Amino acid sequence: MKLEGVHQLDAPRERVYQCLTDAQVLQRCIPGCERLEKTADNTFAATIRAGVGSIKGVFNGTARLEDLRQPEHLRIVVDGKGQPGFLKGAGDLSLEATETGTKVSYSADVQVGGTIASVGQRMIQGTAKMMATQFFTSLAAEAATAVGDPPPKHGFFRTALRWFSGWLKSIFSHEKAQIKTK
Amino acid sequence: MIPAQFDYQAPATLEEAVSLLASDVDGAKILAGGHSLIPAMKLRLAQPQLLIDIGRIKSLAYIREEADQIRIGATTTHYQLESSDLLKRICPLLPECAKSIGDVQVRNKGTIGGSLAHSDPAGDWPAAVLALDADLLLIGPNGNRTVKSENFFIDLLTTDLQPGEILREIRIKKPSGRFGQAYQKVPHPASGFAVVGVAVHLELNDNGSCKTAGIGVTGVGVKAYRAHAVETALNGSNLDDDAVARAVTHVCDGVDPNADLYASAEYRCHLAQVHTRRAIQAAKANAK
Repeated sequence: MKLEGVHQLDAPRERVYQCLTDAQVLQRCIPGCERLEKTADNTFAATIRAGVGSIKGVFNGTARLEDLRQPEHLRIVVDGKGQPGFLKGAGDLSLEATETGTKVSYSADVQVGGTIASVGQRMIQGTAKMMATQFFTSLAAEAATAVGDPPPKHGFFRTALRWFSGWLKSIFSHEKAQIKTK
Repeated sequence: MIPAQFDYQAPATLEEAVSLLASDVDGAKILAGGHSLIPAMKLRLAQPQLLIDIGRIKSLAYIREEADQIRIGATTTHYQLESSDLLKRICPLLPECAKSIGDVQVRNKGTIGGSLAHSDPAGDWPAAVLALDADLLLIGPNGNRTVKSENFFIDLLTTDLQPGEILREIRIKKPSGRFGQAYQKVPHPASGFAVVGVAVHLELNDNGSCKTAGIGVTGVGVKAYRAHAVETALNGSNLDDDAVARAVTHVCDGVDPNADLYASAEYRCHLAQVHTRRAIQAAKANAK
């Protein structure tokens, strides 16, 4: 499954890049991330409780950052498995400075297998879109704070509110964030 | 195919169900017909700690007329809706939609409230209630509240139901004057779920032109939605073939269509246009 998307964040490119490589920030931004530990340089071990509605599963896995070209590009390689199935893939993130902040474009190729793929195939793409939107909404809030400041609070209502205000903004600026999937 | 361990409670009243749910909002799950939840539990994709079975509360399954409304209890089964003479007479879209769901076994057990609360992206009922601009009555620890169907569906499998709330009733304004309805669906050959499903409710002027149109679409996006751009294009039009063909080109406006092994995004959007056109034409033909 290919996932592609573009998100506009109101923060300088260096700051966004820093957030994307900070384990603590990532743990707060990844939906359902219960644990994210640095095990080696640019390598992390994670536990993620992912799901929507009543369908939930716990995944354990590793994420490795590659091809780091600060502040414009990085590649994330993930490999995880859990009771509902397994997931592996890689994604490229490109950061581009714009007048108002940073444009993050991502393109990923992800394979999902096991029970979740055999019975939930028609839902996987929707789940991925939903999680990507939640992640970038939280990341935008993180990147908007200065280094050393207390992190912003995340939660269903805050995320929904940020998403909604971002949506309003996108209507007026005609730069609607898009997630395209092939 | 064996679910994880769970507790089970069958409350006698809806109020009792609400207080049971309040005791464990994270671990408890409401069971109605069980035709989405139980399969997910058997695959261990869902592992609730406690099932609260409202499917046995008899007073929650009904279809009745009240003033200018049709009121449907949440645990009314698809079969009860499919076979209701009252609905066939005053709101035939609902029996037509019910008829297209799953198979006989599913229709005998599955409920309209369960389908709406689950909000499967390919469920049939969300399209029908959106086309009819239904109100949904929810009950929670602080009493009842009403949500417009359009605001109820938020995202994939996600609704406006808050932790501790239960969907109790669907309220539909009784169609009046000259109206026509239709449901058109492309069922997935294996599961029967809608690859696309389009529900149409048209109210017509005396001269046959369109007064208002309600169009609910399921299967295309991450959630069912109202195709406002199509409705706007139809309102006031004479519903001839050209007007309908022009209107349906907008059915995927603002929606990122799903893609899966069975149908690509482009194919789905094409199907949605074709079947919206057919549903509008069928609704027009059904208008009395």
